[in-house]
Amino acid sequence: MAFFEQHIHEAPKTFLSKYIFSFDHKVIGKQFLWYGIFFLGVGGIMALMIRWTLAFPGVAFPLIGKLMFPETGGVVPPDTYAMLFTMHGTIMIFYAITPILIGAFGNFLIPLMIGARDMVFPLLNMLSFWIAFVSAILLLAGLFTPLGAAAGGWTSYPTLSTLIGSPGVGQTLWAMAIFVLGVSSTMGAINYITTIIVLRAPGMGYFDMPLSVWGLGLTAILNAIFLPVLGAGVLLLIFDRVFGTTFFLAGAAATSGTGDPILFQHVFWIFGHPEVYILILPAWGIVSDLLSFFARKPAFGAKATALSMTSITILSTIVYGHHMFTTQMSPLLTQSFMTLTMTISIPSAIFFANWLGTIWKGSIRFHSPMLFSLGVVFVFGLGGLTGLYLGTVTTDLYLHDTYFVVGHFHYTMAASVLLGGFAACYFWMPKMFGTMMNEFWAKVHFWITMLGLNGIFMGMMIVGYAGMHRRLYNPFVYDFMQKMIPINTFITWSAIVMGLSQIIFVINFVHAVFFKKEKASDNPWEVGTLEWTIPSPAPNYNFKEIPVVKCGPHEFGNPNLTGSRDFQYQTEELA
Amino acid sequence: MVARTEIASVEGRKITSSIGMIFLLVSFSMLFATLLLGYAIYRVTADEWPPMGMQRVPLFLPTVSTFIIALSSLALWKFEEFFEQKKYENLLLPFIGTVVLGCAFMGVQFRLWSSMKDMGIFVEGGVFPSLMYSLTWIHAAHIVAGLISLLFLIPAMVSKNYDKYITTVSNVSKFWHFLGIVWLLMYVVMFVL
Ligand SMILES: [Cu+2]
Repeated sequence: MAFFEQHIHEAPKTFLSKYIFSFDHKVIGKQFLWYGIFFLGVGGIMALMIRWTLAFPGVAFPLIGKLMFPETGGVVPPDTYAMLFTMHGTIMIFYAITPILIGAFGNFLIPLMIGARDMVFPLLNMLSFWIAFVSAILLLAGLFTPLGAAAGGWTSYPTLSTLIGSPGVGQTLWAMAIFVLGVSSTMGAINYITTIIVLRAPGMGYFDMPLSVWGLGLTAILNAIFLPVLGAGVLLLIFDRVFGTTFFLAGAAATSGTGDPILFQHVFWIFGHPEVYILILPAWGIVSDLLSFFARKPAFGAKATALSMTSITILSTIVYGHHMFTTQMSPLLTQSFMTLTMTISIPSAIFFANWLGTIWKGSIRFHSPMLFSLGVVFVFGLGGLTGLYLGTVTTDLYLHDTYFVVGHFHYTMAASVLLGGFAACYFWMPKMFGTMMNEFWAKVHFWITMLGLNGIFMGMMIVGYAGMHRRLYNPFVYDFMQKMIPINTFITWSAIVMGLSQIIFVINFVHAVFFKKEKASDNPWEVGTLEWTIPSPAPNYNFKEIPVVKCGPHEFGNPNLTGSRDFQYQTEELA
Repeated sequence: MVARTEIASVEGRKITSSIGMIFLLVSFSMLFATLLLGYAIYRVTADEWPPMGMQRVPLFLPTVSTFIIALSSLALWKFEEFFEQKKYENLLLPFIGTVVLGCAFMGVQFRLWSSMKDMGIFVEGGVFPSLMYSLTWIHAAHIVAGLISLLFLIPAMVSKNYDKYITTVSNVSKFWHFLGIVWLLMYVVMFVL
């Protein structure tokens, strides 16, 4: 159903046009992948510093502590602690997860899976990466300003984020970085949406698209609609800080008309709740596909999965108030937001049941991508269920701003998305770089990561339920927190182990990309979607002939199949 | 399953770029919708408007702006029509008209800002000036971007190549008309009501 046919472009010859300013969606995807992995490392080290401070208050951070905090002899100082959790959140959400899931796999998978030769606007795609690059420089520049980086939390609520709360340039740079990144992501989103609408291969209806493309497409729609809302919010925040406007200054109320700090929270969460789904939808899509691929069964209720993802996308736009129950909202509003939030459970339950239905009685192959996908099913189940307590007004009033919230959103946004990203990485490695990663070390990586992150986030929910506040530098100054020192130490050790185990992944990945001699076959996982009909790694024009699609993406075990194959290519038609 | 349909190349590109452009404009609308919603909330929750004994901005200059931008949209609409009909010799007048009127709009905006200063409305003076200045600034920044995008019409005029430039022409005019509509909304919400 392609609106027009893209021509085969010649392969770029110079280093600059091939690796730096490339128009090729696959290269741009890889650029985003490296970008995301770099920031995953930076954000991870920040997380370890936070955890270290909570487990061993007053003890110098090992190895690099003395270098970074010479005035305190290596101990993380309190103001730096606030910067650390702010930058950790910002980096992980906007600069690690978004580039890996949306930037890298969005770019790489959409054209390949729908049978296109490239994105529909290649120039826009390249600009989207380089604008994201500029944004990263703005953000990191904040770390080197005299008063340090932003310290108002990733939500950057006024008055913490106004000139009164954070006088330094760091917070301004933060807001500018977010605005610029928003521009980049919006450009990417428009590209993805248009590509999916106009460049699907002949014969491919929307329900013939793999669910990964569904997830990525819905994410792109949310991005295009809601990033500008955040853009408006941070723009006004920048104006407050630079030009002296008073949008979010509470003190101004008495003297010159009302500035309103709460209004920023509204704007932030109108964007912020869809953002949660922006992060998770690609992972959902990828996992829905992988479960079917490795259970060697058609995805159970694939159409229902796609439709429930769509209804979650729609519902996600009208529930944001559940983040603001403690802002003296009218009870009528809190009740309405609570009810709407609970409504999301219905489509969530449908597609979760579909996941279980897919693996039910499948002949499961426990390769590393499948292990990571099953990991997502487990942690997302836990994360989703704990969300109910936070969506309910009565329990939220108690749990608000405790570590329970931190544990909950790490289960949904960090753990699920991270595991989903790893699954995708291991799975599409042959198509991206032409080699397979070592399967044994992939499994070691999975088990340590899985145990580690459950240790961390389960522990966080326990201390949060016991009343530990989420942003305290040293919560143990309170007597009731004394008994929670051991469990905090346990969380920190889990984090250290999980952090170190990522070195396994990095070595495995770098080895497979640069040093491995042995080439992967064209279709090592025996899957029928379009990207597996072409050579590994994918050639620069993707498809020599634009494929004609005859069936859906999850066709397994058709009795009419001949030979030893149990899967059917999307280009095949069986009697 | 959808039957294989082939659309001629130019038609396909036209549809494709207008789909992209429409989604882009949806993004821009969300930006301005958020700003106007913010304005509405401050306005509705304030005890009196404008607060603190400030005066309303007189309607004269904003009304002039509205007429100017409407005329420029009209000129660009003519331009697009001539281009569609391949009457390339008629393009120059509407093009110059759009550019001149666009620049005139910016000129009136600068007059508006200095007249607000003369009235004692300064940026730092509380939420009312904050809104009046910030929203008009953001819109004006888009107008500047729009004026730059008008320059992309020059190669279209010179080359007289319909197939190559029809998407440029229709995208630039969509963006320009969009800015006109946004101004009209701002005029009604911020100055008239
Ligand atoms: Cu939410």
